[in-house]
Amino acid sequence: MAVKTVPGRFAFDRDGILILPAATLIIAALALPAFRDPANLANVVRQAGVLGILAIGQTFVISAGMLDLSIGAITGLVVVLSSALLNGDAALTLPVVALMVAVGAVIGMLNGVLLNTLRLHPLILTFGMLSVLQGAIFSFTDKSVGRTSAPLAMLANGDIAGVPWSALLLLVLAIGGHLLLAHTRFGYHLMAAGGNPESARRAGINIERIRFAVFVISGVTAALAGLLLAGRLGTGYPLAGNGLELDAIVAVVLGGTLLSGGRGSIWRSLAGVLMLAVLSNTLNLMNVSAFVQMFVKGLVVIGAILLNQPRRASS
Amino acid sequence: MSVAATQATRLQLSHFGRYAIFFVLAVIYVAGLAVSPAFAEPNYILNILRQITPVGIAAVGVTFVMILGGIDLSVGAVISLTSVLTATVMAGDVANLAPAILLACAVGLCIGLINGIIVAFSRASPFILTLGMGVAVVGLTQMLTGGTAKGIVSPGFREFFNFRVGGLLPNLAIAFLLLVAIGLFIEKATIFGRQLFLVGTNRATAVLSGLAVRRVTIAAYAISGLFGALAGIALLARSGVSSTVAGQGLEFQVLAAVVLGGTTFEGGRGGIAGTVAGVLVLAIAFNLVNIAGLPYQMQLLVMGFIIILASALYGQISDLAD
Repeated sequence: MAVKTVPGRFAFDRDGILILPAATLIIAALALPAFRDPANLANVVRQAGVLGILAIGQTFVISAGMLDLSIGAITGLVVVLSSALLNGDAALTLPVVALMVAVGAVIGMLNGVLLNTLRLHPLILTFGMLSVLQGAIFSFTDKSVGRTSAPLAMLANGDIAGVPWSALLLLVLAIGGHLLLAHTRFGYHLMAAGGNPESARRAGINIERIRFAVFVISGVTAALAGLLLAGRLGTGYPLAGNGLELDAIVAVVLGGTLLSGGRGSIWRSLAGVLMLAVLSNTLNLMNVSAFVQMFVKGLVVIGAILLNQPRRASS
Repeated sequence: MSVAATQATRLQLSHFGRYAIFFVLAVIYVAGLAVSPAFAEPNYILNILRQITPVGIAAVGVTFVMILGGIDLSVGAVISLTSVLTATVMAGDVANLAPAILLACAVGLCIGLINGIIVAFSRASPFILTLGMGVAVVGLTQMLTGGTAKGIVSPGFREFFNFRVGGLLPNLAIAFLLLVAIGLFIEKATIFGRQLFLVGTNRATAVLSGLAVRRVTIAAYAISGLFGALAGIALLARSGVSSTVAGQGLEFQVLAAVVLGGTTFEGGRGGIAGTVAGVLVLAIAFNLVNIAGLPYQMQLLVMGFIIILASALYGQISDLAD
């Protein structure tokens, strides 16, 4: 089903969808001089940082045949909590970062345990979790609270020798994620569990443990994305994470990863993230209103989900 | 255990699953009575009924889709769009009342049809598809209105629906009960209703038996879109004030009510009677949250728990019953 195509070689049914991000990039670069401006390109990469980190986590989840709709709310919760706790105090940065990563991990664990013990559909479970977390955020605050700290703002907005820090962070996470997903036993088992859970179980793979692990990875990446987003926003805006889960899923899907599980690549997901970032940046440069952009985003979601279909013969 | 005894237990369990929500409704109502004597007053009850009308109407529509094994998360966005559209077309004039309502219904129906056609002719996940449709429709609503509330309702529109027959029963609640009756009729007494359950129980078998699965699918999503529009109109009638974000997040309440009512994400079971009970349980639970002095925002939290726990519970019951 999923593992037949030889990795490394271009196969149209698997990689054909990558033409979309490539075309978006080329058209934007040719048609809009403002887009080619190095400062703008750095901005595109900075904007892509938050979504890129979320897409890395979601690639693990989707490859394992699951979906996590709670990541946007986890990101939002971390934006609010971290800003409220830091309140501009740089000295607290490390403890707060550690605490937020722990919060993300615990929510991920909760998702994993509930999924495994209650045998719920991952969409229903994480949709319910999304509602719970949104309720938690709004019960905590309904307006912007606190202030992020200087190091986080630096990470989100600053650069070193023209390269944004957030791009470096994304690169490090992507390399780590890629090694884990494509070059470890855990990664192989994950793909097997996503492709065909029953065969994987019979081959002695502990599917419950893998599902638990991907939700923890997803929670932790969502927390990191939240810290970066707080750095960009400067304050704890309670609606900051709204809808990000859908963007992350679309990015992964645009990278050619099937929602049915069993395959996935961090690099291809990041190509999808790049496409969304370029698209949004281009629309901004063309002065398209936020409302039209939202409409376009909805159409992109629908288009991506239609392109992302397993061939009939394969099932 | 003997075979007969095992079968009896299974039967009891599946019966328990089917009627559990009515039991829960009775329990939470009695709990409400214990907390506040207001729950004994007909006026309070009918006021709850009036409150839940928009969510209730939308939930009836979504129930059709979920019996089929699908889902419609665009319903919140459809409610916002049709609500603001109705007010805009009305423009404060009685003469525009009928065209406004017809247009809103047509728009809801069209969105439902598009959802249905895409689901029927592709293998796209309806969950993600309708989430995306919701985003597109919210964008469309903002484009139409420029982001601010527009339109004024026709005079008499709000007054008519909030008029209480015999000083008690609001017309809005009567409209809700009427739509529930229509929904129940479609579910119980039509061939389409039977086909919904067949497709939801086992899609492959339904295809092999020659059922027009695609037509049933498209019809179910169209009904959901239409009921979404009616919910939007009901929301406008209740408040009388136009808003571009009126339906925001209502899909959570709708999903919670439907799942609570025993129509699960897997499809093939449940029904509208359960959904109505689910809506009532949700409404009483929200009122109790208010009475307990908890902030309004806790409702989202409660709803999330209900979605997770109800799904889990019904899953366990059907596992045991099989």
